[in-house]
Amino acid sequence: MSRPYETREHDVLVVGAGGAGLRAAIEALARGASVGVVCKSLLGKAHTVMAEGGIAAAMANVDPADDWRAHFRDTMRGGKFLNNWRMAQIHAQEAPDRVRELEQWGALFDRTADGDILQRAFGGHTFKRLCHVGDRTGLEMIRTLQDRGVQMGFHVYMECAVTKLLTDGDRVCGAVGYWREQGRFVVFRAKSVVLATGGIGKAWKITSNSWEYTGDGMALAFDAGAELVDMEFVQFHPTGMVWPPGVQGLLVTEAVRGEGGVLRNRLGERFMERYDPEKLDLSTRDVVARAIYTEVREGRGTEHGGAFLDISQKPAEYVKRKLPSMYHQFLELADVDITKGPMEVGPTCHYMMGGVRVDAETAETSVPGLYAAGEVAAGLHGANRLGGNSLSDLLVFGRRAGLAAAERAGRTGPGAFDERQIDEATAEMLAFFERPDGESPYAVHRDLTETMQSLVGIFRNRDDLESGLAKIREFRDRWDRIRVEGSRLFNPGWHLARDLKAMLTVSEAVARSALRREESRGAHSRTDFARSDPTWGKKNIVVKRVGGAMELSERPVPEPPPDLKTILEAP
Amino acid sequence: MEVAKDPKTRDGRRTSPVVYDRACLEEVCGSCAMRVNGVARMACTALIDSLAQPVKLEPLAKFPVVRDLSVDRSSMFESLKRVKAWVPIDGTYDLGPGPRMAESERAYAYELSKCITCGNCLEVCPQVNDRSSFMGAAPISQVALFNRHPTGRMLAAERLDALMGEGGLDECGNAQNCVRACPKSIPLTTSIAEMFRATTAHGFRKLFGS
Repeated sequence: MSRPYETREHDVLVVGAGGAGLRAAIEALARGASVGVVCKSLLGKAHTVMAEGGIAAAMANVDPADDWRAHFRDTMRGGKFLNNWRMAQIHAQEAPDRVRELEQWGALFDRTADGDILQRAFGGHTFKRLCHVGDRTGLEMIRTLQDRGVQMGFHVYMECAVTKLLTDGDRVCGAVGYWREQGRFVVFRAKSVVLATGGIGKAWKITSNSWEYTGDGMALAFDAGAELVDMEFVQFHPTGMVWPPGVQGLLVTEAVRGEGGVLRNRLGERFMERYDPEKLDLSTRDVVARAIYTEVREGRGTEHGGAFLDISQKPAEYVKRKLPSMYHQFLELADVDITKGPMEVGPTCHYMMGGVRVDAETAETSVPGLYAAGEVAAGLHGANRLGGNSLSDLLVFGRRAGLAAAERAGRTGPGAFDERQIDEATAEMLAFFERPDGESPYAVHRDLTETMQSLVGIFRNRDDLESGLAKIREFRDRWDRIRVEGSRLFNPGWHLARDLKAMLTVSEAVARSALRREESRGAHSRTDFARSDPTWGKKNIVVKRVGGAMELSERPVPEPPPDLKTILEAP
Repeated sequence: MEVAKDPKTRDGRRTSPVVYDRACLEEVCGSCAMRVNGVARMACTALIDSLAQPVKLEPLAKFPVVRDLSVDRSSMFESLKRVKAWVPIDGTYDLGPGPRMAESERAYAYELSKCITCGNCLEVCPQVNDRSSFMGAAPISQVALFNRHPTGRMLAAERLDALMGEGGLDECGNAQNCVRACPKSIPLTTSIAEMFRATTAHGFRKLFGS
């Protein structure tokens, strides 16, 4: 039985309206394609607005010695050489152009005395490289891209969630979704689909991510048969707010340390001297997060279980000018004046290095017609992402995905899909209402976040991961029994029930990959395998759906060509 | 958010959770504007301890209600289109670095660019109501932003024309509520005054030729 639905048709469908989605849409529009953008929230409110620190691009405005080679080397070193070298190369080479383009479109970057774009230091970057707008770079970036998109005339479908990709043989030819507002179903027909849905932070209890970050794109791609890679690498940002409880996890930008902020424990010790005597507070995020976690665990944490981060040694005017929103955020939410006293900070789940495996040139996934860019995709960051590399990632690969998707749309016809795919998708959504009694989606979600936090967190071991996996399987059974109250009209419980399905798929991929990788590398720390293992350093773990089940395989990391190897070996 | 997990009506019956828009919870996205104890503001920074109890939540009154506390603010995007709130550039080819701006000029422009289209300035404006088509302070301030951008300036005259049309500056009643309600402390009234000057000059130019 077919349920009623409406149909929209575009050459290119972009799922997600953050930095990558908007950049992809702009590029596809510029190539003459008809573009539809679907987003779960409202235009301009995507998670990218929360990005603070800046966009990493080797423009050499502040440090003339910087160039793409140095950026490439830093990115590969940060990622512990598990990165896709070609993505890292393209990213380092193209990021400056993407920043200049944003500037042309009206983004108001901070300036040097000469009137060039100002760049700041950040963890893991050899040179001052982050182009920034105070500590609200993401907001300015989204505003600029949004204005540009409005000018070019894209169709934005707001408050709409995609639940399934439609396929014609092995290619993707559209998507099924529903309007969050009325609960009605909608089918998008498209010659190519770009996933730009971001990460999976909402599967953890303490996270800096917004509610939209439920791993949708990774699960959609997985269900459509695409490969996921590097799923064990989840970045915990070292500095999230720990107090008061209502704002726990909220990000405290790395720019605080970039501008001279210092970490201390309860005893006043500058503990980073022990963990990374060279880079200190600006060590890579994995190292700093583990350092704070260890300090707290060994009893040297602050009252609320964090570390102190102090920038009050800098002049108050400087702090207010360079870090206006951090000043505002702590004053409003925690009643702390950061120009006078220290902040309390602790690790928070921040970023997913893993995701959909894509081709470096086109951002196409292993499924024809399906593209992925930004956090939902994987490869650029390897085992650990450097701060500032995500905003440049969105711009560089968002553009490439939009370009390739439009190009493909120009040479293929619309696919034909079997109506049964739509029936299955809608039936799955309606089943939540049809059960007489059952689980609350909120209870299942709460239990999942607690499990991921305690068993698949910063430090991992076999026992924890195995019991975590057993619990995830339990949650999947409970998910089958979820009952949603009320109607389809704007029903948050129903929306969460759907998002949970994606979170469960991705959580399982994370836990299984983490169990498989028996070593510690980058963001993945195993207490039972505390050292890096050179054999594992040559392998990525790929996750794929085979005959309805999740299967893992190991794949050799592609070797960079000799000229790039020379760059990597430089001191 | 705790309430949402098992929402009940006053007489204890299970019901669906209350609908409201939110994304960042740190006052940068502009989603969660609503009236809290009668005051239009962002809900994310309204700390319960500092409010009179019981806290009364209402949707913004100047926009169509979607459901519960969620409202449709698409009219704000329509206004942005009307005033051409963008830098007019064709294509996406590399044009090299953008135009240079003095740091002081940029710093002021950035104050204006912080607008998060939350709608609070429209909510508190007495001139924004069923009987008027006034666009409100937000888009007017965006004109001030784009007309001072070295490239954005190319559309300055068209933006001023839009402000001089129906629903534009003429309908501002100078109540100055907008600037007090803005969560990002944007100097909205300064922008409005600046645009009054600019449209007056523009009007004379149009009348007498430049």
